[in-house]
Amino acid sequence: MSASESRSTRTRGGASRIVAHAVLLGFGAVLLYPLLFMILAGFFTREEFNRTVLSAFPIPDRPTLANYKSLVTGTVTAAVTKYMGNTILRTVYSTLFAVLTSFLAGFVFSRLKFKGRGALFLVLLATQTIPLTIAIIPTYLEFARFPWAGGNDIFVGGTGILNTWWVYLIGGPAMNIMGMFLVKQSLEKVPIELDEAAKMDGAGTLRLMFQILFPLQLPVVAYIAITTALGTWNDFITPFFYTSSDDLLTLPGAIARLSSISSGAGGTINYPLIITLGLGNTIPAVLIFFFFQRYIVQGLANSGVKG
Amino acid sequence: MQRITAEGVADDRSGGSWKRFIKRHRDALLAAVILTPLIGFWLVVNGFPTMFGFVLGFFDWVGLTDRPSFAGLDNFIAFFQDPLYTGALWRSIWIGALVTVVTQAAGFGAALLMNMPLFGKGIYRTIWYIPAVTSTVATTQIFNLLLSPSNGIINNILISLGKEPIVWQYSVGWSIFWIVVYSVWKGVGAASLLWLAGLQSVDPTLYEAAEVDGAGRMARLRHVTIPGLKPIATFIFITSLVAAIQIYEQVLFITDGGPYSQTEVLVLRIYRDGFWDFNLGMAGASSLIMAILAMSITMIYYRWSSNSDRRTTIPIRGGGASRERK
Repeated sequence: MSASESRSTRTRGGASRIVAHAVLLGFGAVLLYPLLFMILAGFFTREEFNRTVLSAFPIPDRPTLANYKSLVTGTVTAAVTKYMGNTILRTVYSTLFAVLTSFLAGFVFSRLKFKGRGALFLVLLATQTIPLTIAIIPTYLEFARFPWAGGNDIFVGGTGILNTWWVYLIGGPAMNIMGMFLVKQSLEKVPIELDEAAKMDGAGTLRLMFQILFPLQLPVVAYIAITTALGTWNDFITPFFYTSSDDLLTLPGAIARLSSISSGAGGTINYPLIITLGLGNTIPAVLIFFFFQRYIVQGLANSGVKG
Repeated sequence: MQRITAEGVADDRSGGSWKRFIKRHRDALLAAVILTPLIGFWLVVNGFPTMFGFVLGFFDWVGLTDRPSFAGLDNFIAFFQDPLYTGALWRSIWIGALVTVVTQAAGFGAALLMNMPLFGKGIYRTIWYIPAVTSTVATTQIFNLLLSPSNGIINNILISLGKEPIVWQYSVGWSIFWIVVYSVWKGVGAASLLWLAGLQSVDPTLYEAAEVDGAGRMARLRHVTIPGLKPIATFIFITSLVAAIQIYEQVLFITDGGPYSQTEVLVLRIYRDGFWDFNLGMAGASSLIMAILAMSITMIYYRWSSNSDRRTTIPIRGGGASRERK
């Protein structure tokens, strides 16, 4: 390749890079607009927000920090810090649960040989396609009324484990079947000779799993952890449907309640407060994502999703 | 599929029968020890409620205090005779398909750009993904502020331009348009990441070979990238279609099914039956129909992809590890 040719490819690459930057930035700004609107709206008081003719970039006459302060101090209308604490606890628990169970199940299906393995795996995968939303009502009934849960009769009465932490401990996470699938696919790229060598050196199964194979799965594990953490962080279904006390609400649950209560009662929605809660909910999630996003692509590329 | 290893044979001679049993079935026992609690837990939390919901589809159970009575297939017959339900089913399918196509096309385009050696790639990925990590409840409220008929931002802009304001909520077309816009807004970042992972898994030596052969940018896209992406493309389209036919939160919060239930989708109908009308029989029947729809889409995909290309799909027979053990 001559010098002039290489220069021309470089400039062409430079031009297309500028176009790429422009497109990614331009559409990125459109995608971010609702968030920017939220940040601006957070400076409004409820009264001013309701009487302002909203423009695309509303600026309050008398900006207030009260909404933002309530995120940290929890003083204004709601027990915001409590919600935040609940959200964090729940998210940490569900994430650890998902990582551990996905890895264990993925290990079983990639490394152990037993009768019916393929069939069991397929059945588990097939359940993945059943929409979880349709289980909300039966789950409510199960939590409220089944004898083991403290309800007295399947069809009538009882509150069971509703409104207790059990809702989050057992109702939040479940075996992450997508995670199991990804771990299995990724483990199958690790040559079986590695296992054999480790066993030769006297490593037991536990040691093989957690000291040798687990570290090799970090991209996939990170992917599972991030997606689970983000999913749990934003989940409003569990708190909204299965709890009613302030002590158990999470941020998304509180937002859902504030939106539905005020609209259901015919009152005006306290947009600035809801928006601030939404921001308080979004910012940690964005940070989690920003610091770990490269693992998402790497984790996906390492596992079965690739060609 | 029992295979007796050299090690296993040696143990058969030395150990007692109990020990021998454990040694021989070591894998199966270990699998049972790990899987039993996992699957048991899953059955209690997901499996049982889902099955319970399906079973309710064969019962009449209106109101949470009465006892259910067996209804046979009545709920399913009612489902297919009532345009409220068939309409919702049909809308779930076509709105889901529309959301999938638009989201994936935009996501693919973005992934092609993000795959270039650009400064600040991570920032772009984050910016595009941010909508996906926001809370649906909060951001749909922002869309409602944009679309409000009285003080909506878009209408305020239209008025300041001297145009007539539009009451979006009265129009089926506009309502669906905004539901699709919201869904694409929220989904495009995740889609682009999936495509990016796919692009990065295409063998780079193929590009080098194509370049040596004098293939230009478009030729490489056509002859290397797109064929290399075919397996992951079907995976992405099917999983996102299955997810998109189940969207309901944005419908609930943006149009609430209006005007006159003309934008109601099936999962929203299930939700309404269950929590508003306490018609658990119809909710169960609709759930079963939704599940059958979702599962048949997936099954068709696995059938089709295992015929054409079995690399991305779930190993239906045997499994990868046993292949590697050979």
